[in-house]
Amino acid sequence: MAENYDEKAQADDAAFADRVAESLRAPERAHPSFEKRLMDKVRMEGPALYPVRASSNASWWRTQRVFRLSPLTGLAMAAGISAIIALGGIAVGSRMSARSQGSSRTAQATTPRDTVQLVRFVFVDPGAASVALVGDFNEWTRGATELKRSGAPGVWAVSVALTPGRHEYAFIINGSRWVADPLAVKSSDDFGTESSVIRVGTPAKSET
Amino acid sequence: MTGLSDAELIAAVLAGDIDSFSGLVRRYQDTCTRFAVRMLGSRVDADDALQSAFMRAFRGLRSCKDPDHFGGWLYQIVVNECRTYASRQRRRELRFPPAAEAIERAVAPGSEDEAERDVGGHIERALSMLPSEQREAFLLKHVEELTYEEIAAMTGVSVPALKMRVKRACDGLRDLLEGVYHG
Repeated sequence: MAENYDEKAQADDAAFADRVAESLRAPERAHPSFEKRLMDKVRMEGPALYPVRASSNASWWRTQRVFRLSPLTGLAMAAGISAIIALGGIAVGSRMSARSQGSSRTAQATTPRDTVQLVRFVFVDPGAASVALVGDFNEWTRGATELKRSGAPGVWAVSVALTPGRHEYAFIINGSRWVADPLAVKSSDDFGTESSVIRVGTPAKSET
Repeated sequence: MTGLSDAELIAAVLAGDIDSFSGLVRRYQDTCTRFAVRMLGSRVDADDALQSAFMRAFRGLRSCKDPDHFGGWLYQIVVNECRTYASRQRRRELRFPPAAEAIERAVAPGSEDEAERDVGGHIERALSMLPSEQREAFLLKHVEELTYEEIAAMTGVSVPALKMRVKRACDGLRDLLEGVYHG
């Protein structure tokens, strides 16, 4: 049908549309309170999403005792440690029909682009009252992905289905403290706040 | 603040100066309001949709990979948010359908003088009666004056499909505005 929409018909429609659109092009103004209402919400959420950079990250990290674990060491070393663990062997098709895969490394290296892979994020902080995960996969929305208490005291975990490729993420502790994994690959974003990077479904390789 | 580029404002926000986001809000709120009001036919819904869209943009600011083209990125979010609200409106109308005579009254012109005064109102009401995907395509093409390629990149809809939507929108508007316009 679209191929029958020839140039003359397009031109006739364009002329008609132009007359109709003339009044619709009149400028509109946002409500006078629009900016204030929006910025009130921004100021509520902003500090957790975009914290002012700490002057001494190194000591802060030691205080937080945040480390990255390999899948093999896993929760056995969990006390006082945060980690992300890519769970190979679980893949979900694009239509979300579960099917099994091979071993962890093999599954990550060969995951087709139309599958998602379940990735387990673990964070350990006995002093935390809540732990949330934010990343490009949930549009950096605080509260969209909450970690649950899991097993050993202070261990928080959540599994997230991620599409193959590069993802950036960070944890938010107690609703306000931004925590990126210091031993993971850093975000290549130049805007300041550090995030961590995980690659899903691609062969492990170093990234700078 | 207003002298800073989009990229500079975004960099400031990501570095922790979240008040810099207000510079982006001020810069784009009116443009986005025009599209949202025309798309949703309701200032209240448009305001809600834009509050939600700007918050999504704020939360996802880190994923704006081309800060110099923040406007296009934001617009994409606004279009998507308006789709969500349009869908809610459709559900609402399914539950509470407007009476047929009210529709007729809404688009049919009265006296010539009245029609003259209220052509804009007739057009807006006729526009609101188009299927939302046609309304969206018409607004992006003829009111926001984007190219089909730009709209396709923004919406994920193919150019031929967009052209067909615009054509159907024009056909629908011709029918609805018969007596107001003879196009």
